[in-house]
Amino acid sequence: MPEALSTFALSHYLLVGAVLFVLGLIGFVTRRNLIIMFLCTEMMFQGIAISLVAFSRFHSNDTGQTFVIFVLTIAAAEAALALGLVVLLFRRKRTLDAQAWAAMRG
Amino acid sequence: MPIEVLKFVPWIPLLAAVFCCLCCMRKPLRPLAGPICVLSIFTGFVIAVLTYTEAVAGPAQVVTFFKWIGVGVDAQGNGGFQADFAYYIDSLTMVMLFVVTGIGSLVALYATGYMKGDRGFARFFGGVSLFIFAMTSMVMGDNLIVLYLGWEMVGLASYLLIGFYYSKPSAVAAAKKAFIVNRIGDLGFALGIFTVYMTFGSVRYAEIIPAAQAMIGKVDVATLSASALAAYQQATLPHHTAWVMAAPLLLMLGAIGKSAQIPLYVWLPDAMEGPSPVSALIHAATMVTSGVYMISRLLPLFEYSPYALPTVATIGGVTAIFAGTIALCQYDIKRVFAFSTVSQLGYMFLGVGVLSSVGGMWHLISHAFFKGLLFLTAGSVMHAMAGQLDLRKMSGLRHKMPVTCWLMFAACLSLAGVPLTSGFFSKDLIIAAVFDRAQMEGTWATGYYLLGIAALVTAFITASYGFRVWFRVFMGPEQYEMGHEDHGAPEPESPDHSAEDKAHQHGKNTEDHDTHHGHHHAPHEMPWWPMNIPLVVLALGATVGWIVVGFIGSHKYGWIGSMVYGSSAKPSVSIKHGTMLGLDVHYVMMAVSGLLAIGAIALAAYLHWLNRDAGARLAARFVGVVKLLSAKYYVDEIYDAVIVKPLRLKAQLFFVIDQLILDGLVQLVGWLPGNTLGRAAQKTQTGRLQGYGLGMAAGLAILAVLIFIVVN
Amino acid sequence: MIPLLVILPLLSAAVMLAPVKWFDDRRNAWSFALLSTVFTFIASLLLAYQFDWSSPGITMENGVEWVPAFGLSFSWGIDTISLWLILLTTFLMPITVLASLTAVGERFREFYFWLLILQAAMTGTFIATDLIFFYICFEFTLVPLYFLIGVFGSGNRLHAAKVFFLYTFTGSMLTFAGVVYVAYFNTTLGNDWTFNIQALYGAAQAMSPLQQALVLGAMMAGFAVKVPLFPVHTWLPLAHTEAPTAGSVILAGVLLKLGTYGILRFAIPMAPEAVVTYGAAIGVLAVMGILYTALVCWVQTDVKKLVAYSSVSHLGFCVLGMFALDMDNIGAIGAVMYMINHGLSTGALFLCIGMIYERFHTREMAAMGGLARVMPVWAFFMVFFIMASVGLPGLNGFIGEFMTLLGTFNSPSNVLGWEFAAIAGIGMVFAAMYLLYLTGKVVFGPLKVPHVDPAWVSDQHLPEGHGYRPRDLNLREIGVLTPLAIACLVFGLAPYPILKTLEKPVAQLTAPAQNVAQARLDETAHRLVELTTEPIDLNTGALPLSPRSTAAPLWAAGSAD
Repeated sequence: MPEALSTFALSHYLLVGAVLFVLGLIGFVTRRNLIIMFLCTEMMFQGIAISLVAFSRFHSNDTGQTFVIFVLTIAAAEAALALGLVVLLFRRKRTLDAQAWAAMRG
Repeated sequence: MPIEVLKFVPWIPLLAAVFCCLCCMRKPLRPLAGPICVLSIFTGFVIAVLTYTEAVAGPAQVVTFFKWIGVGVDAQGNGGFQADFAYYIDSLTMVMLFVVTGIGSLVALYATGYMKGDRGFARFFGGVSLFIFAMTSMVMGDNLIVLYLGWEMVGLASYLLIGFYYSKPSAVAAAKKAFIVNRIGDLGFALGIFTVYMTFGSVRYAEIIPAAQAMIGKVDVATLSASALAAYQQATLPHHTAWVMAAPLLLMLGAIGKSAQIPLYVWLPDAMEGPSPVSALIHAATMVTSGVYMISRLLPLFEYSPYALPTVATIGGVTAIFAGTIALCQYDIKRVFAFSTVSQLGYMFLGVGVLSSVGGMWHLISHAFFKGLLFLTAGSVMHAMAGQLDLRKMSGLRHKMPVTCWLMFAACLSLAGVPLTSGFFSKDLIIAAVFDRAQMEGTWATGYYLLGIAALVTAFITASYGFRVWFRVFMGPEQYEMGHEDHGAPEPESPDHSAEDKAHQHGKNTEDHDTHHGHHHAPHEMPWWPMNIPLVVLALGATVGWIVVGFIGSHKYGWIGSMVYGSSAKPSVSIKHGTMLGLDVHYVMMAVSGLLAIGAIALAAYLHWLNRDAGARLAARFVGVVKLLSAKYYVDEIYDAVIVKPLRLKAQLFFVIDQLILDGLVQLVGWLPGNTLGRAAQKTQTGRLQGYGLGMAAGLAILAVLIFIVVN
Repeated sequence: MIPLLVILPLLSAAVMLAPVKWFDDRRNAWSFALLSTVFTFIASLLLAYQFDWSSPGITMENGVEWVPAFGLSFSWGIDTISLWLILLTTFLMPITVLASLTAVGERFREFYFWLLILQAAMTGTFIATDLIFFYICFEFTLVPLYFLIGVFGSGNRLHAAKVFFLYTFTGSMLTFAGVVYVAYFNTTLGNDWTFNIQALYGAAQAMSPLQQALVLGAMMAGFAVKVPLFPVHTWLPLAHTEAPTAGSVILAGVLLKLGTYGILRFAIPMAPEAVVTYGAAIGVLAVMGILYTALVCWVQTDVKKLVAYSSVSHLGFCVLGMFALDMDNIGAIGAVMYMINHGLSTGALFLCIGMIYERFHTREMAAMGGLARVMPVWAFFMVFFIMASVGLPGLNGFIGEFMTLLGTFNSPSNVLGWEFAAIAGIGMVFAAMYLLYLTGKVVFGPLKVPHVDPAWVSDQHLPEGHGYRPRDLNLREIGVLTPLAIACLVFGLAPYPILKTLEKPVAQLTAPAQNVAQARLDETAHRLVELTTEPIDLNTGALPLSPRSTAAPLWAAGSAD
């Protein structure tokens, strides 16, 4: 298995992770649709997860991969919860626009 | 009877006070309060009589009831601070007990008739019982703290009884004034107690008095008991000397307040808002004399300080003449007598101040009789006249109220000091003692002579104002104008009656008077029982009481002399009778003051009975003086302008400071960060999710860059 | 037995929250709270019965480990000072609950819940022998009271609750710093971490004068706000005015005593050098507070605010007494008496005022007058408690006031001295002035009854014609005030046994500072001896020592047996 990795350097994996994270970030900041924003956060999550797995293999330390399993599990649970919340928010205002929820404005 | 029984004397009236309070609760029980109160006081009198022989035999005895305050007291009961409910029984205590319970029973008996039918009947007797508890505690207490307890509790009783007709704003104000003015004196008194404790290490008479007697050389140090010796040693430490001398001056402040002397006398005239029996008992016969008792009790301490007794004498003399002049121009009968009380208390102070504690105590007794009688007869007049007390609105009542007329006459004779009445002998003793002292004293002789002359002038004034009242009220043509309100508080007849204060009170003697039209019926005599009989007893005391008090017995001054000289009130220096015009001063003074009294009565008879026009013309000639005197030298107004108003202003200022500056600063500290930094930071909170995301990302980026820089 | 006093109210509070329909009835919830507090009171009486009253210091010590690494534990133990204050707390609680039946509106379950929590926290403060345990309870009292004021108070309650919380909390943070510093200092002496009071006394007394001064300052910051000492008292009138009656009673009755208790238990024994050095400064603040707030009382128009300000004035005497350090400990013992007595009489005054407020929904003095005419029983109690508060001998207020002043008068000349007593004594006159002003306005004078909305008084009879006639106290209300009145009488007429129990524990707490004061006096005397050629007898030397300074101090006698 280490052979397979050898063709790609660690940096490639990290790059993919970083790209995923940044794409997610840009999406989160620019889009207003709550569901899209939520998906973007998931994307950021996966970017981090890739980096973690890559580091784990690179250092031959299983902790990173274990951690990713946990993250994924939690993310799944969280996704269910978050979607539920989004549905709730939609029912309140009949819109998915994040701008509609600005009660925290000082 | 064993002397231990005396310890119950104060507590029986207290129990009675509790019962009276309970009687307040249910209307049918209310009339019970009077008899309960009278009986409780009279029981005290009986106990005092029965224990008399044992109590006055030998030196002072201490009867302990129960422990009150004590800190650092060891198992043997020595050391530390100790003040118990213990009673110091000697002949002076017994004299005061007789006065308090004796006069107290008579006045309370009179009051059962006087207050009959009043809405606050039970409340009144509750107050009187409480007063007797306090007063007997005060005169019996074996330490300064119990004395102070009595001192303040009589103040409370006085407060409650002056404000008895509490719907009247003037009564409430008078009650408040009495309590607060007394509190000022009490502050000095408390500081005096602190000083005594600091110097003697004890507040108990059994230790202070022998120690002080040893300090003035009256007793031999070797004869002191161990605890008194400890007190003596502590008090004679060099750095304590000045304090020991300050103590009596501070204690005197309390006496000035309670006994209504200059400058704290202002409460007593106002105190006449209370029912007349209260004025008689508390504000004439007993409570106000407690200052005289206290100084007599602690005479050795006062003697040790070279300034204390001269100060007492000066205050007494000045007050006597000052208050006497005011009494000349008052129109309210009770106020005349109130200023007269202040003036007579001045005599007592003068007497004690010139080391004639016998004179002071004797005058205290005579005064209790004649002034009690004066106030009660004034009460009868007020009662009969539906609250009318203005001298100008009544005249010639002798036919309507013959008994009252002659009772008051007897009291006035004694007050005026007409020869062969009680007041004559006791007052003469004081005046003569002042001249004795002046002749003994080297440095301050002039001062004492001046005081003596002031006392003589006061004697003349006293006779004038006393008989001015009597001639105006009872002599001359029969004319009167009834009062508009009855002296009693309104008594709503049924529970559903309105609570308004306008309800009219019916006359007291419902058996022979129209009950609903108080101010139409004519003045009437009081019934013999329970009202006039006690007055007759008082009148006997005021006129011929001197035979018992001052002439029977082996002592030079009779019974009272042996009582006072058998107690701590015995002066260390025996007063030598001086001579004047080649005669004993005492005989000279008897002649002079007797002549002055008779002359003053003759003058009063002319101006106020035989030729009232002349009186009016005289008043018109000195209109300025009359105005000044009837305005009481404007002392109340001056106090108000100099003390009360500025203090009130200061209080308002402080409140503003409290709200604006103290609280303002705190509020500012809470407000400032939020409204400066907070407002600025508020702008960044847009409420947009994207904005927060961007902020997070930017923060993260900056952090990453920083880490990158640091790592490299 | 001791932890039971905390656990019992806590458990009852938990039960109060249980989803049981039964509690939804006002009277049921009230009876349960009443039963619980009465039970706790009985438990505290049993504790008092078990207690060895002759013990000179903290006894019945026990505890549960918490964080052993830092020496933290929930350890408890009591001496007579704390026991009397516990008894005061457990005595006041049932009375407060009894008084609250009609005073609380809708959320009564919550109300009793917070009241019981408050009781647990207050008792915890008095039993703690671990500084952190003390501090937790001390601070935790804020939470229930915050809700009691903020939810159940009147008009401006939110503001009052916020100010109360933040003000006292800010002060306490400094106290916490002081506490931690003392514990840290203890470790620098080579000891393990511990927060046990007894262990820290010794360590703290080894600190340098500067360190002691800082610790005293830090501790006073929290305790002085709580007392409250002038000039950090402004939260109190506000909190009192807005708090519900029960809150005011507990606040005045017990919570203020946490401050004075803290000073006596921690500040004075832990920083003796600083106490002697700065005692006079604190004394000046106390005296200023006494006079200043007494005058402010005099111009109040709100009855409750007047009594609230009077608390500030009264507690000035208490602080003064504690810092008197006179040889017989009259001042400090008087201060402890003052804590108890002020709790009784001022608590009772707040209850009386609460009863008026329930009837009229106003506390403006101008709106009412002469109530003695229509409410004689109430008037009796009001005048009784006012007299107790004025310091009339024979009632409880006198004992504390007189003893604190006497102690101050006899204080060593390098601590306070007679001037303080003489000036503070003017407060006695002022107290009479403002309290009789209140009596004259409200109890006596011509009858004046405020306008009353008939909706408030549906259960009272409205007579025709002459307007509203308030009903006098009912049996429940008389039952509220009578125990307090009896307690006032007992404490006023027979305080001797109580004073006796307080002597040794108080002497233990003040002894270090007394020793410092005495040592400094002796030092000055010796210096004088060196300066003069003539020999001076030290016992009768030119210095104004306090009385009986030659006798063995009390604490020495106490430690011998």
